[in-house]
Amino acid sequence: MAGILIVEDDRDLREMLKTSLLKMKYTVIEATNGKEALLHFKPGITDMVITDLIMPDEDGLKVIMKIKEIKPSTKIIAISGGGKAGPGNYLSLASALGADEVFSKPFSIHDLLKKIDELLNLEQPD
Amino acid sequence: MERKLFVALVSEDPAFAVNLKKTIIESLDFVQINYFDSDLTFFSAYPDTKTNLILSDQRNNSYSWKVFLEETLKLDAYSLIIFIVEDRERGKSVDMIKSGAYDVITPASITRIQPLLHKVIRDIEDKANLRYLSDEKNFGDHIANNSRSMLSIINREYVYEKVNATFCNTQSIKIESIIGKPLSEIWGKETFEKKIKENIDLCFLGNTVRYEANFNTPLFGNRFFEVVFRPITKDSGDITHLLAETFDITDLRLSQQVVNDMEEEFKKLETNLPIGFLRCDTSGTIIHANRAFLKIMECEDETSLTGLGIYEFYAEKGLFEIHLSQLLNTQIKTFGRVPLFTCHGNEIACRISGFIVTNESGNPSYIDFAFEDSSRELMLENRLLQAQKLETIGALAGGLAHDFNNILATIYGYSEMLLEEIPKSTSSAEKVGRIIAAITKAKSLTDQILTFSRQVDQEKIPVSVADVLNETIGFVKSGKPENIDIKDDIPVTDVHIHADPTQLFRVFLNLMTNAIQSMDEKGGTVFVKLAIVDGNLVRHDLNKNIVADDYALVTIEDTGEGMDPSLIHRIFEPYFTTREIGKGTGLGLSVVHGIIAELDGEILVSSKKNKGSVFSVYLPVSSEYHNIEELKEGGKKLLFISGNRHESRILSLALERSGSTLVFASDLNQLIKLISETDTKPDLIIYMDDSKEILPQELIDIYSTKKISIPIIMISDRNQLKSAEKLVNSGIVKQQLTKPVSLKEIHNAIQISLK
Repeated sequence: MAGILIVEDDRDLREMLKTSLLKMKYTVIEATNGKEALLHFKPGITDMVITDLIMPDEDGLKVIMKIKEIKPSTKIIAISGGGKAGPGNYLSLASALGADEVFSKPFSIHDLLKKIDELLNLEQPD
Repeated sequence: MERKLFVALVSEDPAFAVNLKKTIIESLDFVQINYFDSDLTFFSAYPDTKTNLILSDQRNNSYSWKVFLEETLKLDAYSLIIFIVEDRERGKSVDMIKSGAYDVITPASITRIQPLLHKVIRDIEDKANLRYLSDEKNFGDHIANNSRSMLSIINREYVYEKVNATFCNTQSIKIESIIGKPLSEIWGKETFEKKIKENIDLCFLGNTVRYEANFNTPLFGNRFFEVVFRPITKDSGDITHLLAETFDITDLRLSQQVVNDMEEEFKKLETNLPIGFLRCDTSGTIIHANRAFLKIMECEDETSLTGLGIYEFYAEKGLFEIHLSQLLNTQIKTFGRVPLFTCHGNEIACRISGFIVTNESGNPSYIDFAFEDSSRELMLENRLLQAQKLETIGALAGGLAHDFNNILATIYGYSEMLLEEIPKSTSSAEKVGRIIAAITKAKSLTDQILTFSRQVDQEKIPVSVADVLNETIGFVKSGKPENIDIKDDIPVTDVHIHADPTQLFRVFLNLMTNAIQSMDEKGGTVFVKLAIVDGNLVRHDLNKNIVADDYALVTIEDTGEGMDPSLIHRIFEPYFTTREIGKGTGLGLSVVHGIIAELDGEILVSSKKNKGSVFSVYLPVSSEYHNIEELKEGGKKLLFISGNRHESRILSLALERSGSTLVFASDLNQLIKLISETDTKPDLIIYMDDSKEILPQELIDIYSTKKISIPIIMISDRNQLKSAEKLVNSGIVKQQLTKPVSLKEIHNAIQISLK
């Protein structure tokens, strides 16, 4: 089954995401911030990254940029709960940087799972 | 009456003196002799008031006749001296008389003394007259020549017969060239005909004529004179001459002119001064008010103030009395922000300065007051305070909403999972369904909070304000109560602003809904208007540092219950509501505020209790961005330094469309990095002096140590010009602008600086 890296600093939310993804039989790797995310990202097994945008240390935008650099075919879903750091348009920036889909919190887990499924079943160009 | 002849007989021969005395007294009763036994005794007594004649016996005399004569004449130039000499000395008599002696007799011719004394008494009378006259003449001449006036005697042929020295000096001509000359020659024919002749004629009719005129004098040019012609009337009654007195009053006139001019200037100043000026008597009753006072206090005219006391404008009773007593103590005092009522009953605040005007004896005679309307200042301060408050609440609420969204997402996720795990149509499933519904509500709430705190992205595209307005009006009309009328005036259809149309719709919908709700029971009318206003004209109404050139102004006015003035400034605070609990979430207006702020717009409110409220929404017109596009600073790198990132939004939008890039630096390290590297080195720096991270002095230091020559445009606060002065004086600032600035101004400055 596909490997998904969850990058989220909120423990409860991360747990919830993990639970629902495991239920769908995905392989789940967790990271609590951007730095950890880059450490845990394994190009061979990580097919998708779900990342929060505003986190301590390296933020989600950097994660998106780096991962798209390492392995451009990685699917990325960005989630955000409204910027803490001013009027910067994080979600649209995330799209611009290459996030395949963006969700704003709170989101429906159904919608998210549906989107994950869609993205992972797309025909890979390579 | 017979005149007495007092004779001083000076002789060292007493026998001779007695003999002579006998001879004279026995024969002439008008003579009285006063005997001196030596020249010295005589000199110690002479001159006295009585002595008319001196008989000086030169025989055996200790002084020479010459010394005696000289000394005596020195003591009184009019002394009459008869010398008595020895017969053999008669030869001296010619010299003696030449030197000033009256006569010389010898003992042999002593009998000649009697007719001589008769002659003396006659001569004395003549001489006394002469002396009198001559004294008088000296005196008169002295006065005439030293007078500050030009004096002259003029005859009927208009010819000068006499003039004084002042006349000659003033005219700088010699007396010979005036005497005998006609006035027309001295003053010029035209002046004489126009300004003199008529008055002289009038004087010769027996009148004293006094008038003022300006004459051209060769020495001093054009001067003012006061002229008095007095007829000189002879005993016969004929007037053959007149006395002309001419006073130079130029200096007087000039100083009067200066005083008049000053008074005029002061009046003008006082009338046009933007500061209200009021003069009161010492009890505070108004005597005079200037135009600015009438304007500030909304009074019709000055007469409407007559008899009123200044204290009648005071909103707080008794406060004026306190001010008055303080003033009387200190003579001059300023009272800040005194609450007042205008003639129309509106409440304003003024800074009042009072000055006691004292009379010569030091007692107060008036009190002058200066009134400066500080309502606007107060309003701006409040607005700033309010903006800061909203910013703080926004940051707090935004952060809270963000964290809350994380929690909601967890709850939402588990609820959905739960819903899947339990059988459908059970009561448990229904309960989970309700949890999810509540989460949706909570989400909408956090959305609103994030919008208010400007942390939600607005997808901005060019939007026609008229279209969105019309759409909103249509929507509102379909659901409005029947007793509410909606009238619109939307003449401009092609105004585009840069906004998220959904959010704009939300703004208008919210304001119109509020308007309707404020008239709920009574009914009324909502007026919706759209206009374009020049940013320059409203720059001081808007709480902005950079104003766009044009604004779309949307006003939504109702005829509802209005708001208490003290509450108006709080209506944009989240959860502040003037309505009863349960009506509305209390977030509506704060969301509206957040959206408008995000659009670089401004919302202003005015409201009158029981009259209604007006909400004015100013939105920068985006066509202005296109204007800048045509201009030619394309491809330039501009660096913007400001304490507030929001300030740069309008600017960056405008500039980026022209192909230039705007970089923002908020701290010193960033700035140094940007200006040190070739790829990022800007062509121009725009420095707003509210930056707390980068101070003017630091900028100066960087420029001098790094030898930088990038031109700077500085945008400074009117009140903080001093701190900015340093930077301007250092010479690195090419252009200086004062807040609020318009895009056009900035643009012009950029063009000049990049030249």
